[in-house]
Amino acid sequence: MSETVLSASGVRKSYPSGDRRIEVLCGADLRVAAGESVSIRGESGSGKSTLLNLLSGLDAPDSGEIRWDGLAPSAGRRARFLGMVFQSFYLIPELDALQNVLMAGRMLGSPGAESRARARDLLERVGLGGRASHLPAQLSGGERQRVAVARALMNSPSLLLADEPTGNLDERTGEAVIDLLLGLSRETGTALVLVTHNPAHAARTGRALTLHDGLLR
Amino acid sequence: MPWFLYLALKQLFPTGRRFPFFTAISVTGVALGVAVLVIVTSVMGGFGYEIRRMIVQTEGEVQVKANGLMEDPSAVLGMVRASPVAAGATPFVEGPVGAVCNGRPAYPEMRGIDVGSVASVANLARFVRAGRLEDLDDDSVILSWELAQRLGAGIGAEIEVYSPLLFERLKADEIVLPRRLRVAGLFEVGHQHLDSSVAYVTLRAAQELYGLGRAVHGINVRLKPEVGDAEGAQQLQAALPQGAVARPWTHKWESFLWVLNLEKTINFFLLLFIVVIAAFSVMSSLLISVVRKTREIGLLGALGASPRDVALCFCAQAFLIGTAGTAIGVGLGFTVLHFRNQLVQGIAGALQRQDTLRQFYHFTDLPSHTLPSDLILTVVLAILISTLAGLLPAWRAARLKPVEALRSE
Repeated sequence: MSETVLSASGVRKSYPSGDRRIEVLCGADLRVAAGESVSIRGESGSGKSTLLNLLSGLDAPDSGEIRWDGLAPSAGRRARFLGMVFQSFYLIPELDALQNVLMAGRMLGSPGAESRARARDLLERVGLGGRASHLPAQLSGGERQRVAVARALMNSPSLLLADEPTGNLDERTGEAVIDLLLGLSRETGTALVLVTHNPAHAARTGRALTLHDGLLR
Repeated sequence: MPWFLYLALKQLFPTGRRFPFFTAISVTGVALGVAVLVIVTSVMGGFGYEIRRMIVQTEGEVQVKANGLMEDPSAVLGMVRASPVAAGATPFVEGPVGAVCNGRPAYPEMRGIDVGSVASVANLARFVRAGRLEDLDDDSVILSWELAQRLGAGIGAEIEVYSPLLFERLKADEIVLPRRLRVAGLFEVGHQHLDSSVAYVTLRAAQELYGLGRAVHGINVRLKPEVGDAEGAQQLQAALPQGAVARPWTHKWESFLWVLNLEKTINFFLLLFIVVIAAFSVMSSLLISVVRKTREIGLLGALGASPRDVALCFCAQAFLIGTAGTAIGVGLGFTVLHFRNQLVQGIAGALQRQDTLRQFYHFTDLPSHTLPSDLILTVVLAILISTLAGLLPAWRAARLKPVEALRSE
């Protein structure tokens, strides 16, 4: 068995709602091996995004444990360990495509020629080599998401977390983005956790899980 | 370059697409405040500088006086001239007189100068606009330009001079006649006070008018260029006999200089509020930016940015606005100072009040002298205040939780 890059055990999370608390996650367990692709499906409000926020270390569980390469998540390690792709792309509007990709690299220090070459290479690999100097406003939705994928891979992370990356795209473009994510994840040996509503997309991952009643099955 | 500085630059000055409106407004506010500060401190500094220039060029940097009259000026002159700090020394007599010409009276300040040695202290010849300093003898006078206008006296005209001594004699029932002096020249320094109320006569004529015999009121001293005013006065004092006092020019003008400095400080303090108000505009722009970019701030957290770095990004924006505004403001301030006389004359001309300007501000041209210390203080305070304005937006941005920021609409 390959090395575990991400583990979550007995993760619980609840939110206050009026005078009571709603338990969103009730002891979810997950183990993702290096290079593995896992999809998580679930109904709206089932806690998929909450789980992803916990896995990314952006939020803390009420109880349970999350480990990145066996260590507790921390903001300092996030840039190197983790790449994230969001439904809404979240590109910085003042930066062109190349600089948006490089922004992830800047979190680790001033980018040198090597980083620039890698960012250009990633843009080539997502099919946007010719649009490196375009601002997000000059790109289509699909192209923006491809820039976001390149940005997520910039620091050669061990884990890629994708939160409904096709949610804002049409079917054909969404399909292309999923192809890209799975292909690059396989090619680079990066583990992928894909949160999606789409059963077809989920079926293409190595392991398909469902979040139901706060538990992963 | 750290990412927060890079992003701060990009957010303020986005590459080649739209005009950075918020940045331009914020930078303009700081620039205007800095420009006004530079202009006002330079003009106020110019008054002080011109006063010094005027006094030093007509009286030297140090004045030696006795407690009362200086009965034996040649002995003191010898001591002063022997001092290693003195470049020249000349005795003087000064005091008010009454003057009448063509039935027009005036009450100028008479200054008796030793024609032979005055050039070693003051280059009066350069201020003589009509006639020649060399033509000044015991029966002549050189009048300041406006005084001559007031008296209606041109070169060669005769004026009658009444000294306080004549009035004393009048009280003793003596028959006194005024001293008749021929106008040998007219001078103009460029300062309203000197140009409207000073008359130069020879030392001997002044001594006779005041009944001083060989005594004088004091000695004007020119210091060597490398010697400071206060330091020179101190060193001269050590060489003088008891009863003689050496004082720098600032002593005589102490009250005026104090008021000038007070005015400058108050003006600086009040005008600094323009920068403070501009800083509020910077703060307001950045607070709006925090709201507009909430999701981007969340993204930065997701990319691995620490709250401290997010805060630094907004502080850096405030610092850059302050720096750019200060740089533009300094440039604008010096540009206005360069054309200050044209501007002032233009405004005074439009209002037809050139004479009022001259009467109340004493100088024919608006003076300007920028002290490096004033400029440094303005630059440092403007950048500091602008940067401080970034603290509240920075704090708010740093407090945003990435999860909530990403979820915001």
